[in-house]
Amino acid sequence: MEHLEYEELLTLHALDALDAPDRRKLEEHLESCSVCRAELAEMRDAAGLLAHASTAVEPGAEVRERILSSIRAEGHSAKASEVNNVVPIAPQRKANAPSYWLKIAAGIALVGLIFWLVSVFLVQNHKISNLTAQIEAQRWELEREREARRRDQEALALLNSRDSRRMDLTGTAQAQNARAVFIFDQKSGKAMLMTDGLPMAPAGMAYEVWFIPKGQAPMPGKTFTVDPAGKAMMMDEMPAAARENAVVAITLEPEKGSASPTGAIYLASPAS
Amino acid sequence: MHAQPSEISDNELLAAVSRGDEQALAVLYDRYRLILFGLILRILHDRNEAEDVLQETFLQVWRRAGDFDATRGRAFTWLVTIARSRALDRLRALGSRARTAEEVVAHSAQDVTGDAAEEAVKSEQGKIVRQALEELPEEQKRTLFLAYFEGLTQSEIAARLGDPLGTVKTRMRAGLMKLREVLRQDSRGL
Repeated sequence: MEHLEYEELLTLHALDALDAPDRRKLEEHLESCSVCRAELAEMRDAAGLLAHASTAVEPGAEVRERILSSIRAEGHSAKASEVNNVVPIAPQRKANAPSYWLKIAAGIALVGLIFWLVSVFLVQNHKISNLTAQIEAQRWELEREREARRRDQEALALLNSRDSRRMDLTGTAQAQNARAVFIFDQKSGKAMLMTDGLPMAPAGMAYEVWFIPKGQAPMPGKTFTVDPAGKAMMMDEMPAAARENAVVAITLEPEKGSASPTGAIYLASPAS
Repeated sequence: MHAQPSEISDNELLAAVSRGDEQALAVLYDRYRLILFGLILRILHDRNEAEDVLQETFLQVWRRAGDFDATRGRAFTWLVTIARSRALDRLRALGSRARTAEEVVAHSAQDVTGDAAEEAVKSEQGKIVRQALEELPEEQKRTLFLAYFEGLTQSEIAARLGDPLGTVKTRMRAGLMKLREVLRQDSRGL
């Protein structure tokens, strides 16, 4: 394969998008070609910039503390191993009297004992920290699973409810290929929206759901964004006033949402 | 570390982290949590999963900071590569689980976009990159995003979009070349 062809492959490799046979070929070549390795590094730097295409989002405040607690727990193990690596310095000069040797031996034994006790203490302490971290992680995982199950049940209940109604939303001139299904429970108001083919929202913008009861002002629902295929799925709640006879519409708004629609309509259900 | 956190370079911070400096990791977290969490959330569409992966990412940074080699790329690339790989691994793991109605609700976290942090949105580097991306033709952008945010290979992208493989390759290369131009023009280092 010509060198130039490898250059083509480098671009795709920087995005981890090569299929397996091409990837193997390129990796073999990279072992012996420093030019291509440097090119790949630059291409990876360029690909890394794509991270900026996603909207910056603030994680939960507790995540920072969780990370710092975990690394402190790991830090104990480093300290313990440092202590384990300490080698007592042996006396360099000879002594004459046996009692001197005894004192030295007793001293070394005592130092050894102290080191051993400290090591045992640190190792145990580290084990306890690890176990605590594991328990905390499992508790957290359990809570997350519970939350996921609760959401599953909500969605299933909605899909199975006798009171659920379905509305098909079609794309306006803004997004002719877009479509969406909106399912809601007429009694509880629980609702689910699934979109397809919506263009990706520009940075700082998001789609917002609107419920427009006949003859009344639009009532805001939640905001959402879509993946590159224009898909999104979200749960929302339909206001009581909108459950009988309302149009559901989607507009593009500033990402924090608007109190009343300001942007163009992308999707709407037929007016009844 | 006596200098103000904002004055310390990413490379210096990673070197300090490799020596076991917790404070340096905290500064890196404060500096990059928004962009990394945004990236992970964009891949996973689920806030809980994304927070979990963000934690894994920084634990990996803590353990592997010594592996970072500034001669082989930027610290920013190293950080986003860890976050993206972890998120895509999680996406695949979630995908392999039997999911029925869960699929329907898994994306419900997409409505959690209200608390985007302004300083990161307004950051100079992000602005330049987003500007460059806006100038790309829609199909080039979509191809890059499918690879980057969904972890699809060239063939998978061709199948997804119904485009010939050669077209997909050309679009990806053209799109990435544009980003490389941005990188080269901004010698301050994004």
